Amino acid sequence: MTVNSQVLGYIVSEERFSDKSVIIKEGSIGDWVYVILKGRVKIKKQTSGGLLTIDILSEGNFVGEMAMLKQSNSTRTASAVADGPVVLGLLDSVRLLQEWEAQPARIKKLISNLIQNLEEATKKAADMIVE
Amino acid sequence: MTKTKGKIPPVVTLNYSKTDLIIKEGDYGVSIYEVISGKVGIFVESGGAEIRVAILGPGMIVGEMAFISGNTSTRSASARALENCCLEVWHPAMLLDAYKQMPDILRLIAGQALKLIVRMNKMVVGLSLKQEQLQDSQTQKLSDQRDDNRKFYRKMVSLECVFRPVNSPEDLELPGRIRDISKRGLGMTVKTSRLFNYILIPGDELFISTYFVPDQTVNMTAKIIWLKKGETDGAISLGMVLTHMDPDDRKRLGFFLMP
Repeated sequence: MTVNSQVLGYIVSEERFSDKSVIIKEGSIGDWVYVILKGRVKIKKQTSGGLLTIDILSEGNFVGEMAMLKQSNSTRTASAVADGPVVLGLLDSVRLLQEWEAQPARIKKLISNLIQNLEEATKKAADMIVE
Repeated sequence: MTKTKGKIPPVVTLNYSKTDLIIKEGDYGVSIYEVISGKVGIFVESGGAEIRVAILGPGMIVGEMAFISGNTSTRSASARALENCCLEVWHPAMLLDAYKQMPDILRLIAGQALKLIVRMNKMVVGLSLKQEQLQDSQTQKLSDQRDDNRKFYRKMVSLECVFRPVNSPEDLELPGRIRDISKRGLGMTVKTSRLFNYILIPGDELFISTYFVPDQTVNMTAKIIWLKKGETDGAISLGMVLTHMDPDDRKRLGFFLMP
Protein backbone atom coordinates (compact mmCIF):
# COMPACT_ATOMS: atom_id res chain seq x y z
CA MET A 1 0.00 0.00 0.00
CA THR A 2 1.31 3.41 -0.86
CA VAL A 3 0.63 6.63 0.97
CA ASN A 4 -2.37 8.52 -0.41
CA SER A 5 -1.22 11.80 -2.00
CA GLN A 6 -3.80 13.81 -0.11
CA VAL A 7 -2.55 12.33 3.15
CA LEU A 8 1.02 13.43 2.29
CA GLY A 9 -0.23 17.02 2.34
CA TYR A 10 -1.03 16.73 6.03
CA ILE A 11 2.48 15.74 7.11
CA VAL A 12 4.19 18.37 9.22
CA SER A 13 7.31 16.42 10.16
CA GLU A 14 9.00 13.08 9.73
CA GLU A 15 10.10 10.95 12.64
CA ARG A 16 12.36 7.91 12.63
CA PHE A 17 12.14 5.04 15.06
CA SER A 18 14.55 2.14 15.46
CA ASP A 19 13.44 -1.48 15.75
CA LYS A 20 11.34 -2.25 18.85
CA SER A 21 11.15 1.35 20.02
CA VAL A 22 7.85 2.41 21.51
CA ILE A 23 6.04 4.98 19.37
CA ILE A 24 2.91 5.23 21.47
CA LYS A 25 2.39 3.81 24.95
CA GLU A 26 -0.96 2.32 25.96
CA GLY A 27 -2.66 4.35 28.70
CA SER A 28 -0.76 7.58 27.99
CA ILE A 29 -2.54 10.75 26.91
CA GLY A 30 -2.22 12.12 23.40
CA ASP A 31 -4.19 12.51 20.22
CA TRP A 32 -1.63 13.10 17.53
CA VAL A 33 -1.78 10.83 14.51
CA TYR A 34 0.98 9.37 12.33
CA VAL A 35 0.93 7.86 8.90
CA ILE A 36 3.50 5.15 8.18
CA LEU A 37 5.86 6.25 5.39
CA LYS A 38 8.25 3.32 5.60
CA GLY A 39 8.41 0.12 7.58
CA ARG A 40 6.00 -1.72 9.84
CA VAL A 41 4.41 -1.00 13.19
CA LYS A 42 2.96 -3.53 15.61
CA ILE A 43 -0.10 -2.57 17.63
CA LYS A 44 0.01 -4.27 21.01
CA LYS A 45 -2.40 -4.45 23.87
CA GLN A 46 -1.82 -5.44 27.47
CA THR A 47 -3.73 -8.58 28.53
CA SER A 48 -3.59 -10.79 31.61
CA GLY A 49 -1.67 -13.23 29.44
CA GLY A 50 0.95 -10.62 28.48
CA LEU A 51 1.29 -8.28 25.53
CA LEU A 52 -0.86 -9.25 22.57
CA THR A 53 -0.17 -8.06 19.04
CA ILE A 54 -3.56 -7.12 17.62
CA ASP A 55 -2.48 -5.64 14.34
CA ILE A 56 0.57 -5.14 12.14
CA LEU A 57 0.40 -1.94 10.14
CA SER A 58 2.42 -0.97 7.10
CA GLU A 59 2.98 1.89 4.67
CA GLY A 60 -0.06 4.12 4.27
CA ASN A 61 -1.72 2.97 7.50
CA PHE A 62 -2.44 5.35 10.35
CA VAL A 63 -1.13 5.06 13.88
CA GLY A 64 -2.90 6.74 16.80
CA GLU A 65 -6.12 7.65 15.01
CA MET A 66 -8.37 6.07 17.61
CA ALA A 67 -7.56 8.57 20.36
CA MET A 68 -8.27 11.44 17.96
CA LEU A 69 -11.67 10.27 16.78
CA LYS A 70 -13.21 8.87 19.90
CA GLN A 71 -15.35 11.29 21.80
CA SER A 72 -14.64 10.27 25.37
CA ASN A 73 -10.97 11.05 26.04
CA SER A 74 -7.59 10.86 24.43
CA THR A 75 -6.11 7.97 26.38
CA ARG A 76 -4.18 5.66 24.09
CA THR A 77 -6.00 2.34 23.82
CA ALA A 78 -3.01 0.34 22.63
CA SER A 79 0.75 0.62 22.22
CA ALA A 80 2.50 1.06 18.89
CA VAL A 81 5.95 -0.49 18.56
CA ALA A 82 8.36 -0.28 15.63
CA ASP A 83 8.80 -3.62 13.84
CA GLY A 84 12.16 -2.90 12.26
CA PRO A 85 13.26 0.65 11.38
CA VAL A 86 10.26 2.89 10.75
CA VAL A 87 9.69 6.31 9.23
CA LEU A 88 6.48 8.03 10.30
CA GLY A 89 4.84 11.23 9.11
CA LEU A 90 3.31 13.30 11.89
CA LEU A 91 0.00 14.71 10.67
CA ASP A 92 -1.19 18.26 11.16
CA SER A 93 -3.55 17.60 14.02
CA VAL A 94 -5.05 21.10 14.05
CA ARG A 95 -6.14 20.82 10.43
CA LEU A 96 -7.25 17.24 10.85
CA LEU A 97 -9.31 18.09 13.90
CA GLN A 98 -10.85 21.13 12.20
CA GLU A 99 -11.90 19.05 9.23
CA TRP A 100 -13.23 16.39 11.51
CA GLU A 101 -15.25 18.91 13.52
CA ALA A 102 -16.68 20.39 10.31
CA GLN A 103 -18.31 17.07 9.36
CA PRO A 104 -22.09 16.76 9.70
CA ALA A 105 -23.20 15.54 13.12
CA ARG A 106 -24.46 12.19 11.84
CA ILE A 107 -21.21 11.42 10.03
CA LYS A 108 -19.23 12.25 13.14
CA LYS A 109 -21.50 10.09 15.22
CA LEU A 110 -21.14 7.24 12.77
CA ILE A 111 -17.37 7.27 12.75
CA SER A 112 -16.81 7.91 16.44
CA ASN A 113 -19.23 5.08 17.10
CA LEU A 114 -17.15 2.84 14.86
CA ILE A 115 -14.02 3.79 16.81
CA GLN A 116 -15.79 3.17 20.10
CA ASN A 117 -16.90 -0.26 18.92
CA LEU A 118 -13.37 -0.98 17.83
CA GLU A 119 -12.08 0.00 21.24
CA GLU A 120 -14.59 -2.27 22.95
CA ALA A 121 -13.99 -5.19 20.59
CA THR A 122 -10.26 -4.86 21.17
CA LYS A 123 -10.73 -4.74 24.92
CA LYS A 124 -13.05 -7.73 24.83
CA ALA A 125 -10.61 -9.77 22.77
CA ALA A 126 -7.79 -8.78 25.12
CA ASP A 127 -9.85 -9.67 28.20
CA MET A 128 -10.56 -13.12 26.85
CA ILE A 129 -6.92 -13.99 26.46
CA VAL A 130 -5.71 -15.55 29.66
CA GLU A 131 -2.30 -17.18 30.08
CA MET B 1 -25.50 1.95 -4.73
CA THR B 2 -28.23 4.15 -3.40
CA LYS B 3 -29.35 7.06 -5.55
CA THR B 4 -28.86 10.32 -3.80
CA LYS B 5 -30.75 12.45 -6.33
CA GLY B 6 -34.40 13.02 -5.70
CA LYS B 7 -36.19 12.48 -2.47
CA ILE B 8 -34.29 11.40 0.56
CA PRO B 9 -36.48 9.26 2.77
CA PRO B 10 -37.27 10.85 6.13
CA VAL B 11 -35.98 9.57 9.43
CA VAL B 12 -38.21 6.81 10.73
CA THR B 13 -38.55 5.58 14.29
CA LEU B 14 -39.14 1.87 14.84
CA ASN B 15 -39.95 -0.13 17.93
CA TYR B 16 -38.63 -3.63 18.52
CA SER B 17 -39.59 -6.13 21.17
CA LYS B 18 -37.10 -8.10 23.20
CA THR B 19 -35.35 -10.81 21.08
CA ASP B 20 -36.47 -9.25 17.75
CA LEU B 21 -33.91 -9.48 15.00
CA ILE B 22 -33.00 -6.00 13.69
CA ILE B 23 -30.22 -6.91 11.27
CA LYS B 24 -29.38 -10.38 10.00
CA GLU B 25 -25.81 -11.38 9.31
CA GLY B 26 -25.27 -12.13 5.62
CA ASP B 27 -28.15 -10.00 4.39
CA TYR B 28 -27.71 -7.02 2.16
CA GLY B 29 -28.85 -3.96 4.05
CA VAL B 30 -28.22 -0.26 3.82
CA SER B 31 -30.04 1.30 6.74
CA ILE B 32 -28.22 2.75 9.72
CA TYR B 33 -29.89 2.77 13.12
CA GLU B 34 -29.39 4.94 16.14
CA VAL B 35 -30.44 3.42 19.45
CA ILE B 36 -32.89 5.81 21.13
CA SER B 37 -33.80 3.56 24.04
CA GLY B 38 -33.14 -0.03 25.07
CA LYS B 39 -30.20 -2.32 24.44
CA VAL B 40 -29.12 -4.04 21.23
CA GLY B 41 -26.80 -7.04 21.08
CA ILE B 42 -24.43 -7.62 18.17
CA PHE B 43 -23.89 -11.28 17.34
CA VAL B 44 -21.59 -13.10 14.96
CA GLU B 45 -22.46 -16.60 13.84
CA SER B 46 -19.84 -19.30 13.93
CA GLY B 47 -20.26 -23.04 13.66
CA GLY B 48 -23.99 -22.87 14.35
CA ALA B 49 -23.49 -20.76 17.45
CA GLU B 50 -24.24 -17.08 17.87
CA ILE B 51 -21.50 -15.30 19.76
CA ARG B 52 -22.23 -11.90 21.21
CA VAL B 53 -19.53 -9.39 20.34
CA ALA B 54 -21.05 -6.16 21.63
CA ILE B 55 -23.93 -4.53 23.47
CA LEU B 56 -25.06 -1.13 22.27
CA GLY B 57 -27.13 1.35 24.27
CA PRO B 58 -28.83 4.70 23.66
CA GLY B 59 -26.91 7.10 21.42
CA MET B 60 -25.00 4.32 19.72
CA ILE B 61 -25.15 3.38 16.06
CA VAL B 62 -26.05 -0.01 14.62
CA GLY B 63 -25.33 -1.01 11.04
CA GLU B 64 -22.68 1.58 10.23
CA MET B 65 -20.15 -1.01 9.12
CA ALA B 66 -21.96 -1.86 5.89
CA PHE B 67 -22.23 1.85 5.10
CA ILE B 68 -18.54 2.55 5.66
CA SER B 69 -17.52 -0.46 3.62
CA GLY B 70 -19.50 1.07 0.74
CA ASN B 71 -22.62 -1.06 0.99
CA THR B 72 -20.94 -3.59 -1.24
CA SER B 73 -20.59 -6.28 1.38
CA THR B 74 -23.22 -8.12 3.34
CA ARG B 75 -23.98 -7.43 6.98
CA SER B 76 -21.02 -8.68 8.98
CA ALA B 77 -23.04 -9.35 12.14
CA SER B 78 -26.60 -9.70 13.38
CA ALA B 79 -28.27 -7.19 15.68
CA ARG B 80 -30.94 -8.31 18.08
CA ALA B 81 -33.03 -6.40 20.63
CA LEU B 82 -31.95 -7.47 24.13
CA GLU B 83 -34.89 -5.60 25.60
CA ASN B 84 -37.70 -3.52 24.16
CA CYS B 85 -35.99 -0.98 21.95
CA CYS B 86 -36.72 2.18 20.06
CA LEU B 87 -34.45 2.85 17.08
CA GLU B 88 -34.20 5.75 14.68
CA VAL B 89 -33.57 4.54 11.15
CA TRP B 90 -31.40 6.64 8.83
CA HIS B 91 -31.52 6.01 5.15
CA PRO B 92 -27.93 6.02 3.90
CA ALA B 93 -28.88 8.52 1.18
CA MET B 94 -28.96 11.10 3.96
CA LEU B 95 -25.28 10.52 4.61
CA LEU B 96 -23.87 9.46 1.29
CA ASP B 97 -23.18 12.94 -0.15
CA ALA B 98 -21.59 14.10 3.06
CA TYR B 99 -19.51 10.94 3.23
CA LYS B 100 -18.32 11.40 -0.35
CA GLN B 101 -17.30 15.00 0.31
CA MET B 102 -15.34 14.05 3.36
CA PRO B 103 -11.55 14.49 3.06
CA ASP B 104 -9.89 11.26 1.87
CA ILE B 105 -7.87 11.08 5.04
CA LEU B 106 -10.94 10.71 7.28
CA ARG B 107 -12.41 8.06 5.01
CA LEU B 108 -9.13 6.16 5.03
CA ILE B 109 -9.00 6.29 8.82
CA ALA B 110 -12.56 4.99 9.04
CA GLY B 111 -11.69 2.21 6.59
CA GLN B 112 -8.71 1.16 8.67
CA ALA B 113 -10.81 1.09 11.85
CA LEU B 114 -13.41 -1.01 10.07
CA LYS B 115 -10.87 -3.61 9.01
CA LEU B 116 -9.51 -3.90 12.51
CA ILE B 117 -12.93 -4.16 14.12
CA VAL B 118 -13.85 -7.07 11.83
CA ARG B 119 -10.64 -8.80 12.85
CA MET B 120 -11.22 -8.16 16.57
CA ASN B 121 -14.74 -9.56 16.32
CA LYS B 122 -13.35 -12.68 14.65
CA MET B 123 -10.86 -13.01 17.45
CA VAL B 124 -13.61 -12.70 20.07
CA VAL B 125 -15.63 -15.38 18.28
CA GLY B 126 -12.63 -17.70 18.03
CA LEU B 127 -11.82 -17.25 21.70
CA SER B 128 -15.44 -17.75 22.75
CA LEU B 129 -15.62 -21.09 20.96
CA LYS B 130 -12.31 -22.17 22.43
CA GLN B 131 -13.40 -21.26 25.95
CA GLU B 132 -16.65 -23.11 25.55
CA GLN B 133 -14.82 -26.27 24.50
CA LEU B 134 -12.47 -25.91 27.40
CA GLN B 135 -15.37 -25.58 29.79
CA ASP B 136 -17.05 -28.70 28.52
CA SER B 137 -13.97 -30.81 28.87
CA GLN B 138 -13.97 -29.78 32.52
CA THR B 139 -17.67 -30.03 33.24
CA GLN B 140 -17.24 -31.42 36.71
CA LYS B 141 -14.62 -28.96 37.81
CA LEU B 142 -16.39 -25.96 36.44
CA SER B 143 -19.80 -26.82 37.77
CA ASP B 144 -18.53 -25.67 41.17
CA GLN B 145 -17.47 -22.30 39.84
CA ARG B 146 -20.32 -21.86 37.47
CA ASP B 147 -21.10 -18.36 38.65
CA ASP B 148 -17.68 -17.14 37.67
CA ASN B 149 -17.25 -18.86 34.38
CA ARG B 150 -20.60 -19.58 32.86
CA LYS B 151 -22.52 -16.37 32.97
CA PHE B 152 -22.83 -16.23 29.26
CA TYR B 153 -22.82 -19.79 28.07
CA ARG B 154 -24.87 -21.65 30.59
CA LYS B 155 -28.41 -20.63 31.24
CA MET B 156 -29.98 -21.50 34.57
CA VAL B 157 -33.46 -22.90 33.99
CA SER B 158 -36.10 -25.12 35.47
CA LEU B 159 -37.49 -27.08 32.54
CA GLU B 160 -39.58 -30.18 32.85
CA CYS B 161 -38.33 -32.93 30.59
CA VAL B 162 -38.76 -36.61 29.89
CA PHE B 163 -35.88 -38.93 29.17
CA ARG B 164 -34.90 -42.54 28.67
CA PRO B 165 -31.62 -44.38 28.29
CA VAL B 166 -30.85 -44.89 24.57
CA ASN B 167 -31.17 -48.67 24.81
CA SER B 168 -34.48 -48.69 26.64
CA PRO B 169 -37.96 -49.30 25.07
CA GLU B 170 -39.11 -46.36 22.99
CA ASP B 171 -42.29 -45.75 24.95
CA LEU B 172 -40.45 -45.30 28.22
CA GLU B 173 -40.74 -41.79 29.67
CA LEU B 174 -38.87 -40.96 32.84
CA PRO B 175 -39.45 -37.49 34.31
CA GLY B 176 -36.61 -35.10 35.06
CA ARG B 177 -35.91 -31.43 35.37
CA ILE B 178 -33.25 -29.53 33.44
CA ARG B 179 -31.46 -27.09 35.75
CA ASP B 180 -29.01 -25.49 33.40
CA ILE B 181 -28.25 -25.76 29.73
CA SER B 182 -25.62 -24.54 27.27
CA LYS B 183 -24.91 -25.28 23.64
CA ARG B 184 -22.67 -28.11 24.74
CA GLY B 185 -24.27 -29.67 27.75
CA LEU B 186 -26.84 -29.60 30.50
CA GLY B 187 -27.44 -30.32 34.13
CA MET B 188 -30.51 -32.29 35.18
CA THR B 189 -32.06 -33.50 38.43
CA VAL B 190 -33.96 -36.77 38.68
CA LYS B 191 -36.01 -38.24 41.54
CA THR B 192 -34.68 -41.73 42.22
CA SER B 193 -38.16 -42.91 43.22
CA ARG B 194 -39.31 -42.25 39.67
CA LEU B 195 -36.51 -44.14 37.96
CA PHE B 196 -38.26 -47.54 38.35
CA ASN B 197 -35.49 -50.07 38.05
CA TYR B 198 -33.22 -48.01 35.90
CA ILE B 199 -29.77 -47.27 37.22
CA LEU B 200 -27.85 -44.42 35.71
CA ILE B 201 -24.07 -44.35 35.60
CA PRO B 202 -21.56 -41.99 33.98
CA GLY B 203 -21.11 -42.86 30.32
CA ASP B 204 -24.81 -43.66 29.80
CA GLU B 205 -26.50 -41.88 26.94
CA LEU B 206 -30.00 -40.50 27.33
CA PHE B 207 -32.68 -39.35 24.92
CA ILE B 208 -34.14 -36.17 26.36
CA SER B 209 -37.27 -34.31 25.26
CA THR B 210 -38.21 -30.88 26.53
CA TYR B 211 -39.61 -27.60 25.24
CA PHE B 212 -38.29 -24.05 25.34
CA VAL B 213 -41.54 -22.55 24.12
CA PRO B 214 -44.97 -24.19 24.57
CA ASP B 215 -45.95 -26.84 22.02
CA GLN B 216 -42.52 -27.08 20.46
CA THR B 217 -40.71 -30.22 21.51
CA VAL B 218 -36.94 -30.20 21.41
CA ASN B 219 -35.05 -33.49 21.38
CA MET B 220 -31.46 -34.19 22.21
CA THR B 221 -29.11 -36.99 23.12
CA ALA B 222 -26.66 -36.43 25.98
CA LYS B 223 -24.04 -38.46 27.76
CA ILE B 224 -23.75 -38.53 31.54
CA ILE B 225 -20.36 -37.19 32.63
CA TRP B 226 -20.91 -37.09 36.36
CA LEU B 227 -23.56 -37.98 38.87
CA LYS B 228 -24.09 -36.91 42.44
CA LYS B 229 -26.66 -37.16 45.18
CA GLY B 230 -28.80 -34.07 45.44
CA GLU B 231 -29.34 -31.99 48.54
CA THR B 232 -32.85 -33.29 48.99
CA ASP B 233 -33.37 -36.95 49.68
CA GLY B 234 -33.90 -39.31 46.82
CA ALA B 235 -32.73 -36.96 44.09
CA ILE B 236 -29.64 -37.11 41.93
CA SER B 237 -27.95 -34.47 39.80
CA LEU B 238 -26.55 -35.35 36.42
CA GLY B 239 -23.91 -33.45 34.49
CA MET B 240 -24.21 -34.19 30.78
CA VAL B 241 -22.62 -33.32 27.47
CA LEU B 242 -24.79 -33.13 24.36
CA THR B 243 -23.94 -35.82 21.86
CA HIS B 244 -26.63 -35.27 19.26
CA MET B 245 -29.14 -32.63 18.33
CA ASP B 246 -30.89 -32.01 15.01
CA PRO B 247 -30.02 -28.73 13.31
CA ASP B 248 -33.50 -27.29 13.86
CA ASP B 249 -33.41 -28.13 17.55
CA ARG B 250 -29.91 -26.74 17.79
CA LYS B 251 -31.19 -23.51 16.32
CA ARG B 252 -34.04 -23.41 18.86
CA LEU B 253 -31.52 -23.94 21.61
CA GLY B 254 -29.41 -21.14 20.19
CA PHE B 255 -32.32 -18.74 20.29
CA PHE B 256 -33.31 -19.96 23.73
CA LEU B 257 -29.81 -19.29 25.04
CA MET B 258 -29.81 -15.77 23.72
CA PRO B 259 -29.12 -13.49 26.67
